[in-house]
Amino acid sequence: MTLLDLLRDLFPLGHSVTAAGPLVTGSARTAAGEAAVVGTTGSPALGIPLLLDLGRCYRRILAETPARPIVLLVDNSGQRMGLTEELLGLSQYIANLLAWQDLARRRGHRQVAVIYGRAVAGGFIAFGLQADRIAAVPDAHVAVMELPVVARVTKLPMEDLQALARTVPVFAPGIENFYAMGGVHEIWRTDLAGHLARALREADGQDTRAALGAARGGRKLAAGLVDEIVQAPLCSNR
Amino acid sequence: MNPVLRRSYSEATARQRVAALMDPGSFRELVPPADKCTSPHLDAFRVPVSLDDGVVIGDARAAGRPIGLFAQEGRFLGGAIGEIHSAKIVGLIRRAIRVKAAAVVGLLDSGGVRLQEANAGEIGVSEILRAVFDARAAGIPVIGLVGGASGVFGGAGILSGCCDVLIVSDHGRVGVSGPEVIETTQGVEAFDSRDRALVWRTTGGKHRYLLGVAGMLVDDDLDAFRRALAETLEQPPRPPVDGVERGWQELERRWNDWGACRDAVEIWRAMGIREPERIPDLDVAAVRAARPRRGERP
Repeated sequence: MTLLDLLRDLFPLGHSVTAAGPLVTGSARTAAGEAAVVGTTGSPALGIPLLLDLGRCYRRILAETPARPIVLLVDNSGQRMGLTEELLGLSQYIANLLAWQDLARRRGHRQVAVIYGRAVAGGFIAFGLQADRIAAVPDAHVAVMELPVVARVTKLPMEDLQALARTVPVFAPGIENFYAMGGVHEIWRTDLAGHLARALREADGQDTRAALGAARGGRKLAAGLVDEIVQAPLCSNR
Repeated sequence: MNPVLRRSYSEATARQRVAALMDPGSFRELVPPADKCTSPHLDAFRVPVSLDDGVVIGDARAAGRPIGLFAQEGRFLGGAIGEIHSAKIVGLIRRAIRVKAAAVVGLLDSGGVRLQEANAGEIGVSEILRAVFDARAAGIPVIGLVGGASGVFGGAGILSGCCDVLIVSDHGRVGVSGPEVIETTQGVEAFDSRDRALVWRTTGGKHRYLLGVAGMLVDDDLDAFRRALAETLEQPPRPPVDGVERGWQELERRWNDWGACRDAVEIWRAMGIREPERIPDLDVAAVRAARPRRGERP
């Protein structure tokens, strides 16, 4: 889905969202109130300058519009893979953007991510996967690693992988797979504005993705195992 | 230190590290191998499972303090993170919050998300990160140790960036995209992964310490890690209230100052380190002495 189509369908009540290069910022009216908007367009790889820019957007939102909900528009082709990024410590740049998102959550900003383009690997972890609610439009693409690369690394034939991908959601790219695993809360096929308003009202800061994955059958064991570990009694010699 | 007395951290297994770093007899494993809680996804790829799915978790004491501990086994699929592996870490961190542990300690040794269960691993990493931020918000410091053969890359590299304190050895490596991945996707002229010296200058513990990615640099020695951990637990970090803002400013300054550098040696020179080309040959104590203190940057 193009950014223009998305903005039209997501914010029919009006918005001031603009793109400057890959960076998308602005504010929009929704049925759940005014929302800050931050995102990317053109499926950029998230390198250091863009990560700093996204952090700068969060910084301004937290300073100027306390507790205003934030809509994250997600379209990236992963973290930027390069010598410069690694030399300067990309892990800390991604961690800092995650820390901004966490700080926003603790200050009462509800965050809803809408994947409208691509969401790939470290780029998805950095921006999108950490929101309170994660939604995707049907033609969005979510991937950790594309199948030909998986085939090369696992040394399994592509045909075998493709057959396997039809029966289990655990490794192959695709929105439906992430939905089954609980990594995408909702797929919005129509009435994006209505869905967004509802998601903004429902977002509560609890991480329920493991339970969703169990209910949907894609990730049957994680939620139960987490609970078992949290609740196990303490040993007396502590 | 007399090298003869050293016991290598990088060559030790996760369980040997746990035994060496925790107070004797204090470790109580949760979801032990006897539970046979193995990955349900590997069989389809004809990959053998491990009885702990590559991570050991439990309650323990270190330097007399009750902590939650997880230790990744870099020898099993490179410490890669899948459904069970991530759920064990998420559970351990949330448990540490529930029982008000003095810290969460992670012995990190992982190349990132496990390809055979990539979607579960990717979401699992995100759940670990949410739990890490919850622990930190609850006042429980999260301490990462890196010195294993798999280093920390991908999602594990991002996890290392979210810790309050990172302790690395000169054998430890920290990154997001590994050298082989960069070479495969960007070409050998972007990063020659066979140039071992370049790989170590870029991702190795010495550079990570000099850059400030890691707060402490230690020898590849179990006892050195144990002492560094004790030191950290005795004086736990108190993140400033404006820590995110300060971190952002520091990272922007780093980009502005050194974003044009093409090699770690250039960065070390720009930091004001004398004879920066000698850093790869120096021992850990000398590298520690060479790091400019905060505010001393020219």
